[in-house]
Amino acid sequence: MSDLHWMTATEAAQAIAARKLSPVELMKALLERIARLDPKLNVFIRFDGDAAMDAAKAAEAEVASGRLRGPLHGVPVGIKDIIDVAGLPTTCHSKILIDNVVAADAVCVSRLRGAGAIVLGKLSTHEFAIGGPSFDLPWPPARNPWNTDHHPGGSSSGSGSGIAAGLFPMALGSDTGGSVRNPASACGIVGLKPTYGLVSRRGVFPLSFTLDHVGPLTRTVTDNALMLETIAGHDPLDPGSATAPAGHYASGMERGVRGIRVGFVRHFHESDVPADREVTAALEHVARTLETLGGEVRDVRLPTLGEFGAVNRVILQSEAWAIHGPWLRERPGDYGQLARRRLMAGAFMSAGDYVQAARRRLQMIAAVEDALRDVDVLLCASAMDPPSRLDDPVETERTYPRQARTPFNVTGHPALAMMAGRSSGACHCRCNSSAATSAKRRCFRSRGRGSALPAPTGSIPR
Amino acid sequence: MVELLARRAGLDKALAEFPEDVAAAAEQASSSVARMKAPTDPRAEPWPPMRTGSGL
Repeated sequence: MSDLHWMTATEAAQAIAARKLSPVELMKALLERIARLDPKLNVFIRFDGDAAMDAAKAAEAEVASGRLRGPLHGVPVGIKDIIDVAGLPTTCHSKILIDNVVAADAVCVSRLRGAGAIVLGKLSTHEFAIGGPSFDLPWPPARNPWNTDHHPGGSSSGSGSGIAAGLFPMALGSDTGGSVRNPASACGIVGLKPTYGLVSRRGVFPLSFTLDHVGPLTRTVTDNALMLETIAGHDPLDPGSATAPAGHYASGMERGVRGIRVGFVRHFHESDVPADREVTAALEHVARTLETLGGEVRDVRLPTLGEFGAVNRVILQSEAWAIHGPWLRERPGDYGQLARRRLMAGAFMSAGDYVQAARRRLQMIAAVEDALRDVDVLLCASAMDPPSRLDDPVETERTYPRQARTPFNVTGHPALAMMAGRSSGACHCRCNSSAATSAKRRCFRSRGRGSALPAPTGSIPR
Repeated sequence: MVELLARRAGLDKALAEFPEDVAAAAEQASSSVARMKAPTDPRAEPWPPMRTGSGL
């Protein structure tokens, strides 16, 4: 079998279960690719090839004895380094926690292992999932495999870069203001921020208690649904956990988008934060494609992006200050500059500001739910610009906030991002996202056909 | 004013070592708060702080 590194998680799992693919053979192919490409991409903070190979051998022995642990038996996965993996440090890409070896897996990691997945290692992130691409941290920032001069989005930057480069088929990320969907957009893969509470946050270093979500990043929508089914479900020890059991999110995807009502939130990218010309064209193309496939597209209005962004930041930075205040008082020099600035902002917000943001958030949730009475899913931009160059911090600082991902952190609705096209100037791509209310299966259905959009080939390192 | 608030928050060390970062953080906070529209309805609730999804 050739090009094992491009196999999807679903393909690999099926081939392993059918004894057509050895987990060891798959692992060998990925380890060779990681050894060759990771020095250029900086995807991993911590990588243990020997342990991964031992796990692959154990998985192979289990297959030989007729035992499959679950639907991801023998499939490798990368873990963002704010999520605990037993025996490894959870550094959050920061000097602050450089020796923070943890004893137990996060619930989401434990569920992946229970389904048979093999943990490859810990992946690059923006510092504490809030900084940005930075060169003043203990590890360099991840790079975009489409063009290594550019950033891969973040904060789940290693997750996005590694999947797009074929280093692993799936990864875990976290999303507080768009951190799963930004790298999915920038790297041309699929990233989902699930509904608030659907995936346990236990064992994930917090950034903002009421905005944090854990989500899957994959190369296909089908893989994303499979991974979500594995990690979703109630956790009685997470006070923010939903009581609903995990669903079968891939079911019905084969029905496509016929009959689905799509609300296009044009004002996000047309007037609130005017998008790059190519992004606008790509979004229009997506809307037309959905119509051609039988969807019904109509315009929808929500509160402005500026207001969603402000509410997100007031809540996020207030809650993050509660977590980081002690370190910022004692060890400000152990943070990189971007994280230090963003995390200290909470010190200048009042209790009244936080309560006003919480009150406004409930009105925003109601506004989105009102819109979703008339449509099944929402379609909007993810990033308004292609990813900037890593050596241009001014442009990175200008473009990072120009996005439409934070509304669904504020409201908790599920939101999925994937590539809508590729920009002409460089090799990177820009993408759109969609969100749905409780009917997440429709969210997957609406994007399932999007798998026909450009595949991650071409300029990816071979 | 920024210095006063920073000292009240215990950021004396940051003020001494990274005064520009403290000023930038204060500016970020001020900008976000200014762009937020507070609810005009006095009965608008902040509770619950976040709602979990149902039926997913």
